[in-house]
Amino acid sequence: MVLSVMLFWNYVVGGRDIICYQCSSPYCSTDVDVVVVSNYMFVEGQVELRSGRLKKWLLLVHEVQVSMREIVTIQVGGFANFIGSHFWNFQDELLGLAEDPQSDAVFKNQGLNMDVLYRTGETQQGILTYTPRLLSIGFQGSLGSMSSRGTLYNEIQSVPSDVVTWIADLSTHVSEPRKKNLFLQSLYKEEQEKSHMMNGNNSGKHDFHSDIQDKDIVESLENEVQYWTDFSKVHYHPQSLYELNGLWTDVQQFNNYGIGRDAFSEGLRGEEINERLRFFIEECDHIQGIQFIVDDSGGFSGVAAEFLENIADEYTNIPVLLYDARGPGSYMNPSSQKQSAFQNLHDAVSFSRLSSYCKLIVPVGLPSLNERKATRFLCIENEKAYHTSAVYASALHSISLPFRMEPLGPTDESCYASGALDVNGAIQMLSGQARQNMVTILDVAMPAPSLTGKQLEQSLLGNLQPLTPDTAEDVEDLQAVESMTIHGAHGSGGHSAPVAEVKDAVQAAYGQVMRKPRFSHLSVATCPLPIPLPFPTIFGNLVGQHGELLGSPISSYPSRGSLDVHSIPMAARLRSSTAVLPFLENRLANLRKFGIQQGALGSEVVRSWGFGKDELEDIGETLSKMVTTLRPHSEVSSDSD
Amino acid sequence: MSIRVLNPNAEVLNKSAALHMNINAAKGLQDVLKTNLGPKGTIKMLVGGAGDIKLTKDGNTLLKEMQIQNPTAIMIARTAVAQDDISGDGTTSTVLFIGELMKQSERYIDEGMHPRVLVDGLEIAKRATLQFIEKFKTPVVMGDEPDKEILKMVARTTLRTKLYEALADQLTDIVVNAVLCIRKPEEVIDLFMVEIMHMRHKFDVDTRLVEGLVLDHGSRHPDMKRRAENCYILTCNVSLEYEKSEVNAGFFYSSAEQREAMVAAERRSVDERVRKIIELKDKVCSGTENNFVVINQKGIDPPSLDLLARAGIIALRRAKRRNMERLVLACGGEAVNSVDDLTPDSLGWAGLVYEHVLGEEKYTFVENVKNPYSCTILIKGPNDHTIAQIKDAVRDGLRAVKNTIEDESVILGAGAFEVAARQYLINEVKKTVKGRAQLGVEAFADALLVIPKTLAENSGLDTQDVIISLTGEHDRGNIVGLNQHTGEPIDPQMEGIFDNYSVKRQIINSGPVIASQLLLVDEVIRAGRNMRKPT
Repeated sequence: MVLSVMLFWNYVVGGRDIICYQCSSPYCSTDVDVVVVSNYMFVEGQVELRSGRLKKWLLLVHEVQVSMREIVTIQVGGFANFIGSHFWNFQDELLGLAEDPQSDAVFKNQGLNMDVLYRTGETQQGILTYTPRLLSIGFQGSLGSMSSRGTLYNEIQSVPSDVVTWIADLSTHVSEPRKKNLFLQSLYKEEQEKSHMMNGNNSGKHDFHSDIQDKDIVESLENEVQYWTDFSKVHYHPQSLYELNGLWTDVQQFNNYGIGRDAFSEGLRGEEINERLRFFIEECDHIQGIQFIVDDSGGFSGVAAEFLENIADEYTNIPVLLYDARGPGSYMNPSSQKQSAFQNLHDAVSFSRLSSYCKLIVPVGLPSLNERKATRFLCIENEKAYHTSAVYASALHSISLPFRMEPLGPTDESCYASGALDVNGAIQMLSGQARQNMVTILDVAMPAPSLTGKQLEQSLLGNLQPLTPDTAEDVEDLQAVESMTIHGAHGSGGHSAPVAEVKDAVQAAYGQVMRKPRFSHLSVATCPLPIPLPFPTIFGNLVGQHGELLGSPISSYPSRGSLDVHSIPMAARLRSSTAVLPFLENRLANLRKFGIQQGALGSEVVRSWGFGKDELEDIGETLSKMVTTLRPHSEVSSDSD
Repeated sequence: MSIRVLNPNAEVLNKSAALHMNINAAKGLQDVLKTNLGPKGTIKMLVGGAGDIKLTKDGNTLLKEMQIQNPTAIMIARTAVAQDDISGDGTTSTVLFIGELMKQSERYIDEGMHPRVLVDGLEIAKRATLQFIEKFKTPVVMGDEPDKEILKMVARTTLRTKLYEALADQLTDIVVNAVLCIRKPEEVIDLFMVEIMHMRHKFDVDTRLVEGLVLDHGSRHPDMKRRAENCYILTCNVSLEYEKSEVNAGFFYSSAEQREAMVAAERRSVDERVRKIIELKDKVCSGTENNFVVINQKGIDPPSLDLLARAGIIALRRAKRRNMERLVLACGGEAVNSVDDLTPDSLGWAGLVYEHVLGEEKYTFVENVKNPYSCTILIKGPNDHTIAQIKDAVRDGLRAVKNTIEDESVILGAGAFEVAARQYLINEVKKTVKGRAQLGVEAFADALLVIPKTLAENSGLDTQDVIISLTGEHDRGNIVGLNQHTGEPIDPQMEGIFDNYSVKRQIINSGPVIASQLLLVDEVIRAGRNMRKPT
């Protein structure tokens, strides 16, 4: 097909008038038809030229894959919000670096479209805003010193002295204001400085000039982080932060699936949460999916499952990518056999329920992250959610990159990014092949080794280690499917490697290994992971300023933070493989042992969570189906164990 | 004790300590909520650690905001909140009543009375009071045309305890009209059919009733009209966006051609659906000045919006699920799930549809509808905490009106009922009870007085004087309540102070149940995961 007349769709202005490039006249055909060729959609019609001749035209609408497609992110529960906080800090840093004239060139042309994750808005005062398309759910009081209304949309609230709705007495109960830590103080000062500059009041500039040292900030964060908001540098939309109030339980008691399930439906809570989500989805033109992070260690998994059920019901066609996360804290040694039984039961029920309302589930969170190969070059304190969540957030960031790469035609190659994929595409690829396995493993290499580095056992594939618990090593799986993202990789000479070089290197690497996956998708970006100031001090002393892996320690301190390391190359991968079998089998066995069997220890408990015998068997059925998908010849039957 | 053997760390409180713990918790909670009660109560402003402001005079809201840790207090709070869920009001009264029951019981228990006997007395008194309330209530005949005046009086009584008088009176008309609007003969009133929408804009007195619907979103196309008169309304739940069919079907294709054909078919079918809507529009609107509005629960993508805009149709996407129901009730027609069976009969009608923009927030007003069975209360206020407080009050007002219609009766307010019930118990019931259970009846009767006492206290009056003059009037056979301004007895009927029958009944019902449970506690054992956590 030949495009005889070039036309363009007046997309930006929004007018959608089709105008002929040659004669600048609006199109004059009434006979418009839509045709699709390959991944591209065309509108076909004819136009009357000045000469009176009819000419057929064909307009490329970039519809199917090419236009921007939004993602809505949902974070439910304590640890999920910790991960999210780091995740949004990365995005904020990328946005800042793209604007900063002094930043490195790789950050200026990222080849990423931030509109996928962010929304543009406007306050009542007419100030434009750019905030994450995010819904975060947490306990009342879990926002620390941040207001649940966010920071952008409120006139600064001082406690008003009068109340307009009441004439008689007023009593005011003021909680002690939560102290802002050094980091938040410095952010606040920066804001004020900015607003002063905007008001043309330059004289006060010196007074505001930050007397807070970055070094002190980093140190204070290391010691003081308590809430996820303590290290967040992002402005959130007022609809984004939802607190579950009036729960009347403290965090320790909010520890099982049943309690969370009730918490969602109590009062108007469920409805309010659904309304918040609708706010973000309504404004999306072509939503590609929902990225959902849940802290499944306690009651929040129940909240999330109920919420997901609503989503599946209301937005049937929007795919949900679920990260089923938990912090190391939740793996604490239970004090009694009974408690550990309940914990296991909760894990099994929660995983099974969550998986039934999403398209792809990725279990994330190791019991002892600091002892794993995945964190060989890191120096993590396991009990700090601030530390561990940073690792998971980095991996999530890498996985999300292909979703916001600008897709290009098959012949067009960007020099910044390649391998764009949408959420649905990724899910289809990983779970929709001949084997319909929806549980995938998250692997990460942080930082990713240099492409040329042959020394120090720095092989790329060898460094990719799982963040998913209970996975088998060295499994032979001919049906495995992978989707890998590498960004900011170093090539020869320690410079950032161009896209083509990365592709070749990965292909070569796969050529050398014994166990090849059946299919592997690769996405590459040149832009590395930026390390924002509030990132924890978790890099080992073998990591250089740009994340390069060194042969010998660079300093005598064991750990390095955001002041020493500015960016790192990353590789992360989602893998659908039989290596996840131990994870599934554990849960299935625990469910049978503690819940389903005659006289099981936890059968009472499960009943109190609101599950009857049949429902429990359904839950078991879901799990055993997942196992049989991966191991068709296994003798999984309810009597065997 | 055996628990000690099993778990050496368990803390055990013995009988009297356990009882006093419960009584103190109940009294503590009572003290917190006491000042709320009545039209002279104190409004509370809660300022959170991060500066969030919450304004409330509602016991229910306050209980939910407080992070209560004491297990007894949680039990009472749960009962009180359940009270609110069932009948929509009376949270503060429930807490006060339970607290006072515990306080009165404490006197007798300290004198050596066994809680069991006391509880028996409470139970007798409760049953007698429930019988008394049947006699005492004022029946209201609802019929086809409910007495608007009595509904207004009930609504005003509850609203004046939450908002200042002028605003309360303004809202009284609004909530009564709203409930009457959605009321259908022979059907249970579904308050969800009254949409409560808010705007942070102007002043609280701009709050109004919209006969029709206000949606919190607008059209997403620049060429669509912002204002249209004489509109047909199509309420539908039809996807008008291109979706990859694999999401649902997961079927396979073997060649690129097959896939292309599938994709093309999907887009075509979306366009086909849009075209059918446009056909309907042309059918009903051609040659007239009428307009056409599509309100869809599912998504509408830009190409579809574009086609609709060209056809002069206003389209809104992702409407609330509940608005589908409300729209049909407000505008008529029916909600369609498929475009195949589109007929002009399925369309609703609105005289005026327009958009209002505040910053990034858009509101679409669907007004001037015929015979609405759904409406919207549009709350305006200068800031969020004011809006939230008015919203809570409106919800309570709506419930009060609904209760009245369903109860077909009301109870005289301003403390009149409590004083009358107390006199009945003391003068008549007590004599019929044998033995020490009498004291239980007495405790119950005195506990009832907590309502008039607190009303008097909050108005700065002398409690003793007030109770004496009220009981005196009652003994003379006059049913009177308390005038909060003067402290003099008044006739609540004349002043139009009425409470809900079901609310009062529920308080009488649930209060003694919880109080009895707490009184009968022998031991408190605290053993569990967080027992070593300081409380």
